[in-house]
Amino acid sequence: MRLHGWAWLALSSLLAFPLAGATRPRYGGALTVDLSATWSTLDPADGFPESLSPLIAETLVRLNAKGEAEPLLATNWQRDADRKRWRFVLRPRVFFHDGEPLTAASAALSLAPALKKRYGDIGITAGSSTLLIQSDRPMPDLLTELANPRMAIHRKSDKIALIGTGPFRISAWEPGRRLTLAAFEDYWGGRPFLDTVNINPGAARASADVFDLPVGPGRRIVPDRTRIWSSAPRELVAVLVPNVQPVVQQALALAIDRAPIVTVLTQRKGEAAYGLLPQWLSGYLFLFATPPDVARAKAMMGQLRIAPLTLSYPANDAFLRSVADRVALNARDAGIVVQPVAGANGNLRLVRLPLESTDAVAELVRLAGVLGVPERASALNAAKPETLYETERLLLEEHRIIPLLYLPDVYGLGPRVRNWDAAQKNGSFRLHLENVWVEP
Amino acid sequence: MGGAVSFRTKVFLSITATVVFAVWIVAWAVSTLVTKSFERRDAQRTTMLVAQFQREFDRRKADVARRMEAVASSDAVLRIAVNLGSPQPDTAQFYAEAQTLAREQSLDFLELVAPDGAIISSAEWPARFGYKENWLSQAADSKEVFLRREDLADGPALGLVSVRTLKAGNGLLYVAGGQRLDKEFLDSLPASEGMRVQLYRTFDPPDPNAKTAAIYQEVQKQPKELTRTTNEATVTAIPLPGRDNQLLAILLVENSRAELANLKASIRGTALLVGGIGVLLGLALSFWTASRVTRPLRQLASSVRQVAGGDWDTRSTVESRDEVGQLAGDFNRMTEQLVEQRDRMIQAERVAAWRELARRLAHELKNPLFPLQITIENLQRARQTSPQQFDEVFRESTSTLLAELENLKLIVGRFSDFAKMPAPQLEPVDLNRIAREVIALFDAQIHAPGRPPVETSLRLDENPATVSADPEQIRRALRNLVLNALDAMPKGGTLAIRTERTDGKMALEVSDSGEGLTPEECERLFTPYYTTKQHGTGLGLAIVQSVVSDHKGTISVHSEPGKGTTFRIELKV
Repeated sequence: MRLHGWAWLALSSLLAFPLAGATRPRYGGALTVDLSATWSTLDPADGFPESLSPLIAETLVRLNAKGEAEPLLATNWQRDADRKRWRFVLRPRVFFHDGEPLTAASAALSLAPALKKRYGDIGITAGSSTLLIQSDRPMPDLLTELANPRMAIHRKSDKIALIGTGPFRISAWEPGRRLTLAAFEDYWGGRPFLDTVNINPGAARASADVFDLPVGPGRRIVPDRTRIWSSAPRELVAVLVPNVQPVVQQALALAIDRAPIVTVLTQRKGEAAYGLLPQWLSGYLFLFATPPDVARAKAMMGQLRIAPLTLSYPANDAFLRSVADRVALNARDAGIVVQPVAGANGNLRLVRLPLESTDAVAELVRLAGVLGVPERASALNAAKPETLYETERLLLEEHRIIPLLYLPDVYGLGPRVRNWDAAQKNGSFRLHLENVWVEP
Repeated sequence: MGGAVSFRTKVFLSITATVVFAVWIVAWAVSTLVTKSFERRDAQRTTMLVAQFQREFDRRKADVARRMEAVASSDAVLRIAVNLGSPQPDTAQFYAEAQTLAREQSLDFLELVAPDGAIISSAEWPARFGYKENWLSQAADSKEVFLRREDLADGPALGLVSVRTLKAGNGLLYVAGGQRLDKEFLDSLPASEGMRVQLYRTFDPPDPNAKTAAIYQEVQKQPKELTRTTNEATVTAIPLPGRDNQLLAILLVENSRAELANLKASIRGTALLVGGIGVLLGLALSFWTASRVTRPLRQLASSVRQVAGGDWDTRSTVESRDEVGQLAGDFNRMTEQLVEQRDRMIQAERVAAWRELARRLAHELKNPLFPLQITIENLQRARQTSPQQFDEVFRESTSTLLAELENLKLIVGRFSDFAKMPAPQLEPVDLNRIAREVIALFDAQIHAPGRPPVETSLRLDENPATVSADPEQIRRALRNLVLNALDAMPKGGTLAIRTERTDGKMALEVSDSGEGLTPEECERLFTPYYTTKQHGTGLGLAIVQSVVSDHKGTISVHSEPGKGTTFRIELKV
């Protein structure tokens, strides 16, 4: 038994040592990221992926999965009762990538254009370590706005396109071809594990450590041991029905069977959408869930004779085309003739609506604006969750939109990539690479 | 005889009719032969094309069968079948598999179907995943390639399809696919120029107003091969049934008859041209023939007309030696003989007239001369035998002599009047008025005591026209006719005078109800000094005829024995 005991101990030690080494974070190395999207500037407002922006430049606050603001460059904040006057205390010992410290003045200089664009006449006063933002009108959504990557604190110089305070600094930027990020040694949150992140726009190599996989039925061969990771829903795929008779819209909504679309066309990566906000964001999506009922849809159409409808989809979007074909097929079962057409001029429009915020109220306000009825969101009150449901129900009952699917960002992760899941913030749309490391 | 057809016209019509008939016969014969030849050729071409279609159809079937076999034996399909046999099959991942396989095997249709009939993947309509294809279980794995209607997103299509069943372990997979039967297939058929091959699908019938709609509907009602010919095309329709013998399509092979129509039009045009030339030739030939044949005849006819018109000295100048020349010579000889006979007749007439005149004069003069002779002999005898009664005898005798001399003078005066008929002094004359005047003139004589009763009837035209005439001469002529009529009715009767306006003329009729005349008497009635009366000079009707003749008019007589006589004078208005 004694011999056996030592043997077991030795064997356990041999097995435990490499296991412990494999899970221990490792500094150094380069991560290659291939993304199908292309961009030519580093401005989030001009095509630079918002998922990448926080790697370089950070905002004062960020929203968690519940849509609540969390400290980022601002450690705390206060506001008056009217939400007209906000005071932010900046995080100390934060430096820009060029070594300059983050000051209230530099933050005010960076934020002023974007805030004035959003709120109009606004006053920003920089203190020693505080920032005072005030306006004559209430700014109830200021925190949500400040969490948007477009509100990231940054500076620009002739040599460096974007100077932020994020965990990575720009090492090289060849517009449209390659973006190389290097670890920022003086990052306030601690140096990232990775030395370098090589980001290749418009590339789709399976040999990359991280690559995005478009959601759709098309099969892409991925190497063995590649893991698939999906983000929180990033897009709402929906049919906009601006000028169609309500009864036709109702019949069409009943005729569409979302489950096969999710199963086959998204290959189970998407979720069926019956409302505007995803379940994880609103918590009440199940209240809107309606099973397909072709017989009822057909009965609603009855003897109604309508001209064929056209369902337009973006010309270069193969996934939406396949969804449009399926919608047309389902509609046909209900006696509604729908002709899919490439473009944007159909009676019906199949669109992707980006989900930009984890703040349900802010997201619903934004979607109401997208649908052309911003006034519907006027009754929203973050303090009263029931107003959220009521507002969304009204928006859906107006039948200006038929939600179909929620789509996430999907990435393929190579075998070298470690600590990916833990590094990502729950419910966040952005990539967090500061805690990701790679095997050599 | 205004409708008489001239010799030249007859010649022209004869030649034209001959040429046109000959041309028509030739054109008809050529056209018929060409039509039959074309129809034979069309039938051959159609037969060849249909055979080619069948060969191509069979070849396509074999091709589809081969490709479907390749699909059914592919690893991809085997993998799907294996997946279906797993405890938790996941078919969603095979959504695009059919498109890939169809592309690889050049198939237009391909569907991978689960045992429950749910479509796993569809190449022709990718969006139909999950929908059911229940017919497959009945057609599964017969390896037969058949015609089938396929419903697609943009409408139905026709295809040659086959079904395979693949079993792998517990998994069962239906593979249904094929190729479209479309324009490309029709284009592969070797249609000759003028031929058109159309494939009408029962779900996409031709326009009801299309030329081929009728035969299409006919075949649809009774699916069998048909051929119909119209002026424009010969159409052969071949029904194409599906697996369950349901009619799915009709192949129409159309042979245009345009070439034939053009050829026939060309033949017709040529015939018309030749016919037209023939007509012109006939015209020219008829003119030439007429000039050769009818000119001497026309000259001869002209000579005849001149002779008929009284120009007895006319001679035909035809000098040809043919029948017409001989006829002209005969005509000239005949004319000469006629002239000689006429002269002899005139001479004879003159002699006869003089004899008649002498007889009449002798007769007229003998009557008064005989009393003169008796009176003078009585006077001589009274001088010698009874001088005491001589004075009384002398008085009576001289009285008688004077009376007879007066009678002689009257007779001579009549003859003198006839000889001295003056030229008419023309002026507008109303014949009705003259008729009334004359009937009034004779009224006293007609109604004289002791005279046999004569009833007069005056029927005058209510809308008379005036004639250009000498009223005195017309009145004299009418008096003579009335006198003649009264003399013809010694026992009384009816005297009728009638005027009538006819076409450009005024007619004056005088009728009696006497015993009438014989035809011979009618012929000689107007001869001077001819009379049927015992005491007539025979000059009355001669004078009437002379007056009418001087007025360029005509006089005629109509008489039947026992029914009276009617004289009719016609004068131009």
